Amino acid sequence: MNKKKELLISLLKNKLGADFLTEEPASPDRLFVDIKKEALRPVVQLLLEQGGRYQVGVGYDARRNGQGFALLHTFAFDRDGLLVAVRTFSPEDNPEFDSITPIVPGAGWSEREYRDLLGLNFKGHPNPKRLVLADDWPDGIYPLRKDVPHDLMPPSAEEVAFRLDQAPAGTSVVPFGPFHSSLHEPAHFSVYVDGEDIKGCEYRGFMTHRGIEKLGQTELTYNDVPFVAERICGICGSVHSTNYAQAVEAAAGLKISRRAEFIRVVMLELERLHSHLLWLGVAGHLIGFDTVFMQAWRIREKIMWLAESLTGNRKTYGMIIIGGVRRNITSEKTEDIRKVMREVEKETMALEKAIVKDKTIHKRTKGVGYLSKEETVKWNLVGPVARARGLDIDVRRDHPYAAYDELEFDVPVTDSGDVWGTLVVRLKEIYEAIKIIRQSLDKLAQLPESEPLALELEGPIPAGKQGLSVVEAPRGEAVHYVLTGEENRPERWRVRAPTYPNLQAVPQMLVNNKLADFPIIVGSIDPCISCTDRVLLVDLREKKARIVSKQQLEKMSRQVRFGR
Amino acid sequence: MWKKLAEKAFRRSIWVYHCNSGACNGCDIEILNVLTPYYDVERFGIRLVGSPRHADAILLSGAVTRPTLPLVKKAYQAVPAPKLVFAVGSCAIGGGCWYDTYNVTGGGEKAIPINYFIPGCPPRPEAIIYGIALALGLVDKKVAPVELKQMEFPVDMYRHRKLLETNNVIYRLLGEEDDRLTFGRREDG
Repeated sequence: MNKKKELLISLLKNKLGADFLTEEPASPDRLFVDIKKEALRPVVQLLLEQGGRYQVGVGYDARRNGQGFALLHTFAFDRDGLLVAVRTFSPEDNPEFDSITPIVPGAGWSEREYRDLLGLNFKGHPNPKRLVLADDWPDGIYPLRKDVPHDLMPPSAEEVAFRLDQAPAGTSVVPFGPFHSSLHEPAHFSVYVDGEDIKGCEYRGFMTHRGIEKLGQTELTYNDVPFVAERICGICGSVHSTNYAQAVEAAAGLKISRRAEFIRVVMLELERLHSHLLWLGVAGHLIGFDTVFMQAWRIREKIMWLAESLTGNRKTYGMIIIGGVRRNITSEKTEDIRKVMREVEKETMALEKAIVKDKTIHKRTKGVGYLSKEETVKWNLVGPVARARGLDIDVRRDHPYAAYDELEFDVPVTDSGDVWGTLVVRLKEIYEAIKIIRQSLDKLAQLPESEPLALELEGPIPAGKQGLSVVEAPRGEAVHYVLTGEENRPERWRVRAPTYPNLQAVPQMLVNNKLADFPIIVGSIDPCISCTDRVLLVDLREKKARIVSKQQLEKMSRQVRFGR
Repeated sequence: MWKKLAEKAFRRSIWVYHCNSGACNGCDIEILNVLTPYYDVERFGIRLVGSPRHADAILLSGAVTRPTLPLVKKAYQAVPAPKLVFAVGSCAIGGGCWYDTYNVTGGGEKAIPINYFIPGCPPRPEAIIYGIALALGLVDKKVAPVELKQMEFPVDMYRHRKLLETNNVIYRLLGEEDDRLTFGRREDG
């Protein structure tokens, strides 16, 4: 048994006494505890002191079991390979919890999300505003509650625009988005500038919230969800379907075949390859270096063709189901993959040479979007964004899943703390991904051909079990939490995409930079807004309402061109 | 009719504005992909522009979500006439797999009139180029027109019952008695 786990259990029992309810027997690298809600803040404090990294909050409606509303906070202990989920319950008539945002700023969004979606109240939240739902969504209807149907559509109100905070004195506001050529997805940044310098920023997103979690809990069955999960994001689709499948497998105690695990690794790393090349191109485009854009996407195209020959589609592969994968990677395909890897490696090296020696790129990225390591830890940043700031975390190594425990790879880390650092980290990760794919192909060749691709499930998946899974997406750590339920579908399915924590820190990164650097700073986290928004919609701010007029929209779109 | 109009109105290069109304990135990346060396639409004079004011056509991707609905309408109004609208991908065509969730209003047609549909999840870059080329009259349609027949279903009864159900839920949640029964499910058109 994990030593850290034993230590944590004993510490919690000592500290809480009667407030410690139960501890769920789970695999050695997971710890699920139930506590009384009064004890939430001390427990979070204790876990932070022990070195925990906050991941995500999960709220759900447990009224069917007579438990009122439940709220979970999950923490990762990266050095010990342990994931901890702390669950509390609140009675139905007064769904109120202590807010942990004052001690964990990264929890702010999670709590605001459940305020919108479940109607939970958080005592002491510094900024309890609407986050996810549309501005014209009526108060008092909480779409994630079980008595609300998934297709409930309250009447829309005309001319309810989002309300932003007043800009600080001495600054003027430059709106970016919702449709902006440097943001490829709808999101609104209202940037406060003093001359050319950015003094602050307010974000209002969740415009691509499509209610996917609600669909997974009401309409779909266990094996439908991976295909919808892939459509959370068109770039890192396999990440979400693998992550969901792993969470369900963990909850149901399934062990999939080694061959299926290696095939999952190959798909995940192919995705990382094409995603990093895509980012490289977009980053080049954002700083006005379109040659990089064209070249990176030219290299990437080969991977897309390869993916098509492996799975039948260029994206949204449909490879992963619960219990395994749907298609095999045969020895002929292996040769194709090796050939593409050779070409991609060679061409990326040529591109890298051109990039690292280019003075313009250095000038546009070095020292831009700086964030210190302390801030990075404080905001729980993940992925290349954190690794470029000296934080050595990688879920593939720290919490190995699929077949990563058998594979050897390096985790590139730099401490420059700026956009340049993220570029270097991503470039190096391209080679690591190629290395991992080659190793996986070698290992696949040694495995017996007769190994099954997918398990045959014996009987239904038991209800009420918790599963927590993490996967290192190209953008960072993605977290999926599944609570199994009746009727062959999850009771609760929570997705936390890597952009969710990273985006919360963007206002910090922007401060004291030039306005012209705005696109590349936002671009440096590789924002995947559709992942982040999967659930709901927009911000409603108090104070003065500003309605976006046609003229303003034009102005916005002009600024887009301006900013490049 | 559209072909003739397009031939008249868009005789030269066509500039397109890409409008993401709530897509998963899949279609957006394929749209960007058509600019890159292997597909290179600039040889047909097609260019992506940053402002709807400069555009001749809109490429709409993604299901129209509740918050982007007014924004899409405004972007459409900002494009000078004559204009073409392409719905790229399953979500923009009919709302995709989340067509009826609480935060999605449906396909692009719920917001703005659409001229051409490019199906796929996501559509291949070739399909996007083909769709635009078809609109411009550069290629011919590959299928013969088929006359569709409306099948008879007792839809009305089913719809009526569902309407009542939905409405009751809303008012129960709001805690108020009300006899307005006209909203709930989205109205047709």
